Amino acid sequence: MEAPSSRPSATPDAPGWPAGRRPLSGGESECDPARDTKTHFRVCRFIMETGVKLGMRSVPVATACVLYHRFFKRVSMRAYEPYLVAMSCLYLAGKVEEQHVRTRDIINVSHRYFNSGSAPLDCDKEFWDLRDSVVQCELLILRQLNFQVSFEHPHKYLLHYLLSVKSLVNRHAWSRTPITETSWALLRDCYHGDMCIRHTPQHIAIATLYLALNSYGVELPVGEKEWWQVLCEDATKANIDAVISDLLQLYDMDAKCI
Amino acid sequence: MDRDLLRQCLVFHGESLFNKLKCEQTENPDFQAVAPDLCKVTSESRGEEQENPLVEQFIARKADILFCPSWKTTTPQEEEHEEQEEEATEPYAIMPPLELFMEVSYEERRSTLYRDLEKGDIVVGRINNIRDYGFFLTLLCMAGGLKRDIEDLELSALCHIREIPSTGNHDDPLSYYQIGDFIRAGVKDIDRYQEKVTVSLQQASLLPSLGHVKLGVITREELPVHYSRSLRAASDSSETYEFILRRCHGYHNPSVVEYLLDKVRISDTHPPSMMRGLQSKLFQAEDFATAIRKKQSASWALKCVRAGVDLFKHGRHVESMNEYNKALEIDTNNVEALVARGALYANKGGIMKAITDFEKALENCPDHRNARKYLCQTLVERGKQLEEQEKLVTAEGLYRRALSLDDSNPEAQQALHKITDAIQKSIRLQEEALAKEQVKDKSGKTSAEKLRKILKEEKRMKKKRKRSSSSLSASSASSRNSSASSSSSSSRRRSKKKKKKHRRSERGSKRHRRISSRGSRGSEEGKSERNGGKDEDEVEWFPAPPNTSATFLNKKGGPGFGEGDEEEEEVEEKLGEERRISQLYSLSAASDNEESDSSRRETKRRESKESRTGRRKSRSPERKDRRSRSSEKRDKHREKEKEDKGRNSDSKRRSSLDESRKRKVSCSSVDSEYSRKSSFSGSASKLLENRSKRNSIDGSRYDNRGREDVSEVEEVKREKGGAEGGLGKSGGNQKEQRGVSGESSKKALPSNLLDIFSQIAKFQKDKGVGPKK
Repeated sequence: MEAPSSRPSATPDAPGWPAGRRPLSGGESECDPARDTKTHFRVCRFIMETGVKLGMRSVPVATACVLYHRFFKRVSMRAYEPYLVAMSCLYLAGKVEEQHVRTRDIINVSHRYFNSGSAPLDCDKEFWDLRDSVVQCELLILRQLNFQVSFEHPHKYLLHYLLSVKSLVNRHAWSRTPITETSWALLRDCYHGDMCIRHTPQHIAIATLYLALNSYGVELPVGEKEWWQVLCEDATKANIDAVISDLLQLYDMDAKCI
Repeated sequence: MDRDLLRQCLVFHGESLFNKLKCEQTENPDFQAVAPDLCKVTSESRGEEQENPLVEQFIARKADILFCPSWKTTTPQEEEHEEQEEEATEPYAIMPPLELFMEVSYEERRSTLYRDLEKGDIVVGRINNIRDYGFFLTLLCMAGGLKRDIEDLELSALCHIREIPSTGNHDDPLSYYQIGDFIRAGVKDIDRYQEKVTVSLQQASLLPSLGHVKLGVITREELPVHYSRSLRAASDSSETYEFILRRCHGYHNPSVVEYLLDKVRISDTHPPSMMRGLQSKLFQAEDFATAIRKKQSASWALKCVRAGVDLFKHGRHVESMNEYNKALEIDTNNVEALVARGALYANKGGIMKAITDFEKALENCPDHRNARKYLCQTLVERGKQLEEQEKLVTAEGLYRRALSLDDSNPEAQQALHKITDAIQKSIRLQEEALAKEQVKDKSGKTSAEKLRKILKEEKRMKKKRKRSSSSLSASSASSRNSSASSSSSSSRRRSKKKKKKHRRSERGSKRHRRISSRGSRGSEEGKSERNGGKDEDEVEWFPAPPNTSATFLNKKGGPGFGEGDEEEEEVEEKLGEERRISQLYSLSAASDNEESDSSRRETKRRESKESRTGRRKSRSPERKDRRSRSSEKRDKHREKEKEDKGRNSDSKRRSSLDESRKRKVSCSSVDSEYSRKSSFSGSASKLLENRSKRNSIDGSRYDNRGREDVSEVEEVKREKGGAEGGLGKSGGNQKEQRGVSGESSKKALPSNLLDIFSQIAKFQKDKGVGPKK
């Protein structure tokens, strides 16, 4: 798999464009899971980066990532061009989360992502073809996901948990420690992999908060129950550890494959 | 690197983390700087944690991010602000303290509360005891600052009598409080050793950020939301944290994430990330969607502008305007498009629109050369328009502005020079006229009157003759009207600024009026030279005036101007719009009048186009305007006449209707002749539909020139005759032009309609423009 920067800008021209919709190869015998994970990681990085450049908030970007992961849970990586799917996911996520992004901006930013430093596209056929591809692919995603495109995200759990945990800690200690930033960054970063759809939102929220607290050595008062047990009934230490280890793997990947 | 944070972390994680840190952060000079300090810290750490080595690895690797001072974006100050508002609207779920669910031990909670409680926090308690020196509260909950579960901690707080605000009466403030009252109070002091808390009801005891919270007795309903929720949770074990969270309607607020992000001060547009590849420093401003879009829009718009300019060069102005508009739709403030559109507007006569466009362009790009140049030219153009409308001061302002844009613009310099002269002159004349009036009131008038009478008589005779012989449709009414307007056009010249001017008629203005009428007649003749047969009649009716100066004038005026016209006409013919032509005269008159030879040919052509279209659009209102002015003038005359103690016995309107009336004021009779002529020429030209249009235009142009010349002559005479001094030359000329154009445009209208117009206009004039003078 080539590096994203060397990918051609005209993604729809790549083989596997949805127009020639291939039969889904359920077995995917030739697939290499490790390689796929890396590709997904790169594409998610693309989604994140593009999301920031588009000024999208965290939740729409998260939705885009979830859309992307869910889509490729159902279809083969080789059937569809992942970057085009990612662009359409961003577009669809903007609609789902009521932060509408224009296709033009998505195309512009993506074009520049693949051809860094290039001049913006002209208003010509290539542009309109790209635009059509994005819109068509959006429909494809919708159909693949059976139009179930709204998801519950850990974001609001995390924010409420943060407020609750904050009042357990001495306010000076809290204001000195960047727990909020760290947990928010961890939460955003966890969308790089499919862990965001493998774990429940609450567990992800608790795990990111746990890891953030742990990273700074902040200790919370201990009662009959741990704080995370209170926040979510079915959270266990094992759950949290699983999320954290998935998350840490993503950070390993950050070092390895970009 | 934040040393304190790192120490805190190392204390928690122990030596293994320190070793990993040393391993991972070898290249980080920040860490090397703090490492020696931290050595001893690890030795005192507990290290009993069976921590996940992967987590430590993670911390070690990301230590440069985690402990970087800039990683922390939130600012500690003023965190709790709108608690009260939040309680009312609940934009997010307000949860009971977590401790309640965690079942933290009594001792721990109590000690941490005493540790964390601070002066200025707000507590809510119930009065359990009232003494002479104050009352005691059993603390129920926290209402601001910390959010802790304190109800069962049996905390007692004293509110001293000094801390109760006095009500102003002399009775005991404590008498207002009863046992069992809920009190909201600010923490005044905490004695952490003896575990004593004192509270205050004085507003000043609160932190400034909580200053708006009202202290004192509160009702049960005013108790904090989290307290009532924790009461319910405490009594019902099925009320778990999760359950309460989901039930809160703040949790379902669709924008809860944005709200809380703002509350905890995390930027969602520049979100934090621990991924190396997503560090915000890697994002370049020009990669953001808005930047690209802006760039793209600019380039798309520029494309449209280019297409528009091409179309413009091929004379397809409508299409090019469409292109410009498209460009501006794509990129609202595209400077090139604004300049191009402004130029097109200017070409098409939309001077105001052009000015707006140029100004907008300059706003966005103050150094745009073409925008400056065009705006300067357009301002001068507008100034000339205003000058025609007698708004000299405004025009002067525009010229000054034009010069401020381009101080070497010769046109603007000239125009400014001229207009300042005109203004000064008019002021001076006004003063003079005033002074003169005072003198004249005393001096005798008899000889002048006699002279005037004789002239009147003569004229009336002429008129009668004309009227009877006239077989054309020039009705007396229309002539009356046109006479009024034309009289104003000439009288305006004299008197706009100096009302008393026509007094001067005793000496100069009589002559002058004659001259002007001759002049116009002369121009009529000039027309006849070109038009042949049509004008013969006119010549017949209006025999050449005996005044030599006038004949001299039309000889001089006619052909010289005609040559100039030819060129203009060619331009028009290219455009092939017959209709516009009729407006051309005003332009050429204006430009000829004002324009110095120095101005380029191109500008001239542009101007001509401008005014052509401009005229067409604004024609009818202008006409009205003109008429209104004339009627106003008439009014003034009337007033004047009254002032003159009935010497000038009647208004000219009536006098022109009713021939038997005597008219002592000269202004109308001569002019009415003149105007009649022109109205007649109008009707004549109607007859000769095809050619006539241009002809009449040319005719009026001649008129113009003739009149100009007249005024020149007039000026000479004035100089000779002493300081009667007419209005400034330029002003006078303009008025003449207006008058002429007014007549020619009037020709087709029925007379009664004209009457109505003039009345309306007069009314407007009196109301609107009147005060200006």
